[in-house]
Amino acid sequence: MTTQPTPLQGSYFDGRDGRRHAVDVDLAHGRLRLRGDRIERDEPLDALTITPRLARTLRTIAFPDGARLQLADAACLAVWFPHRNRLEALVDRLERYYQAVALAIVVCLGALVAGYLWGIPWLADRIATHLPARVEAALGDQVLALLDRTDLDASALDVGRRTELADRFAVLAAGLPDGADYRIVFRSAPSIGPNAFALPGGTIVVTDELVELFADDRQLDAVLAHELGHQAGRHALRQALRGSFIAIAAAFFAGDVSSASAVVVAVPTVLLQNRYSRQFEDEADRFAYAHLAGHALSPSWLGAALGQLETDLPDDASLAWMSSHPATAARIARPTPPAPTSSRAIRSWPTRSPVSC
Amino acid sequence: MQDPPIVSAGAWPVPPALPEPIATVPSAAPPRVPHRFAFDGSAGEYFRIWIVNLALSLVTLGLYSAWAKVRTQRYFYGNTRLDGVPFEYLARPLPILAGRIVAVALFVGYVLAGQLSLWLQIVLALLITLLTPWLLVRGAAFRARYSSWRGLRFRFVPDYGQAYVRYLWLGIPLVLTLGLLYPYVKARQKAFLVEHHRYGGQAFGFEATAGHFYPPYLIAWAVMTAWIFVGTALLTGAAVALHRPGAEPPTALVFGWMAVFYGGYFAIWAFLAAAIGNLVYNHTTIGPHRFESRLQGSRLLWFYASNTVAVLASAGLLIPWAKIRLARYRAERLTVLAGGSLAAFGAEHGEDVDATAAEIDSLFDIDVGL
Repeated sequence: MTTQPTPLQGSYFDGRDGRRHAVDVDLAHGRLRLRGDRIERDEPLDALTITPRLARTLRTIAFPDGARLQLADAACLAVWFPHRNRLEALVDRLERYYQAVALAIVVCLGALVAGYLWGIPWLADRIATHLPARVEAALGDQVLALLDRTDLDASALDVGRRTELADRFAVLAAGLPDGADYRIVFRSAPSIGPNAFALPGGTIVVTDELVELFADDRQLDAVLAHELGHQAGRHALRQALRGSFIAIAAAFFAGDVSSASAVVVAVPTVLLQNRYSRQFEDEADRFAYAHLAGHALSPSWLGAALGQLETDLPDDASLAWMSSHPATAARIARPTPPAPTSSRAIRSWPTRSPVSC
Repeated sequence: MQDPPIVSAGAWPVPPALPEPIATVPSAAPPRVPHRFAFDGSAGEYFRIWIVNLALSLVTLGLYSAWAKVRTQRYFYGNTRLDGVPFEYLARPLPILAGRIVAVALFVGYVLAGQLSLWLQIVLALLITLLTPWLLVRGAAFRARYSSWRGLRFRFVPDYGQAYVRYLWLGIPLVLTLGLLYPYVKARQKAFLVEHHRYGGQAFGFEATAGHFYPPYLIAWAVMTAWIFVGTALLTGAAVALHRPGAEPPTALVFGWMAVFYGGYFAIWAFLAAAIGNLVYNHTTIGPHRFESRLQGSRLLWFYASNTVAVLASAGLLIPWAKIRLARYRAERLTVLAGGSLAAFGAEHGEDVDATAAEIDSLFDIDVGL
């Protein structure tokens, strides 16, 4: 314990009023000694606490009676108060080493990418596998009820035609592990146009416009096989869960940016979710190819169906970056299922839960 | 206008008499001495703190985030000075961690509920709405309790009855009048927040009335309406000019529409934020002191817009820079007009306040800014 040759300068506040007392601070016989501006105080070091070191901010020594002493950081403070705030002392060292800062950048960006590529899908799929089928079915019913109120009307197809198509669907769905849960419903949807989508819990919605679009029922079979692929993989539920996690992550991110949040964060959120959605589309395409082959149907019917849709609704190049589906051209051209090659959309489907064709 | 309408709930301890006169305040209205707030934080310094905080929070699966929050708050408080004396943030990490766990559980439950059942989410939202005034009070109390200047802590006097009136009950006439009462409600809420704060044995006073709040909101509404009107006319003109029979409208038009309206909303919002910020501070008093805030809408808009672009383009790495420049601007535009010695404050007394409310509050993004 040595006395400092040049005392430290500090501002002392007694905790009872707001007056600042300029004081000189040094150490004498294991006691902190304050002198100056009507202050004369000695306090044993053990009774004092000190705020951890933080960049260039002042450090504060707190006295047991509520008085506080603010002073600039100095080397001797580490000597006077060793072994205090070990965790924050370590963090402070990390902040001062540029290698540690560089490592932190790598960790953060790596965690961002890994969480998006693997973390969120893994977590969402874990939850999806543990969710009771009852809950999933209820979720599907709710989505259908919502769509029925907004975009969907009762089907205008005649009953005979619907029964015929439902029978074809039953043949396709027969033999699948959860085949008994799958059902097909028909709806008129002028605002959506030709489309089919798989809801959580096994329901597949087919629009009248889609049925009327195809000249050959085998084209519809191919689209249904694709939707069955979504059902077999429980894509709708998994997509909904992944979307929720993206939303949570975005909320934390936006909370940090705080200003200008909601609108600005919404756009990247949609983009991020679309990547998951494209993966599911590819998976459903692969399922459809295999399934069609199993029913002695040529996988080329899926290409034919998509080609038909393409003629009816050309891809909009300006929406490429919004795509939730792999490019139609890529999907038609695909002889065997490869990785997605480009990112143009058949059409973008705005709701979060259904997986459209 | 000159006597502050302090709503005294009558229950606080009278500040103890000071042992000796600190400053001689002349009996006539003294000339006010301006003291500017100063902010000394640097983007480079804060970047290091921020990135290490973030990395440690990730590595510890979020547990470190409570320590991270304390370090961040200490940095911003410690670099904000008034009269040469920095502010201090005194909260400890462990209570914040507990609060954070509760808040995250609630938030995840809320989002997942939205995917499972609309009704469950509505019930949860209702519950959160009912809790909001209570959370606001607890959050304000926590922040005040752990904010200190010149060795003296701030305090927020909890008044749950008034909180429920001003943050929940007034919502009914607000809805019934289709939002026309909004400036009035806002004025009542700001008054509540300001007047229940204490520092150094003195109550903050709030002199603005609903009459002060109506002009900025009416102007903002008028400009927004005009903007929508003109924007719609222009875009309709463009749509008609570009229309080809049988074709869907070009997507550029859809994005044009979004850009025009969100852009307009964003700009008006920045100007309104500046106006309301100035209005609140310029009508706030404490003892013989007043505040002067000179935020400019155009500067604020520039900061928000450039910050947003920079943060998105840098995958978030420029968040520290964005926060620092905004904090510096806000501090530079704020002045205390001292009507006497700034040291003439006595001690406040208040008990410790639970951190959960403050945490839930910041997570669900409830606007409680002074």
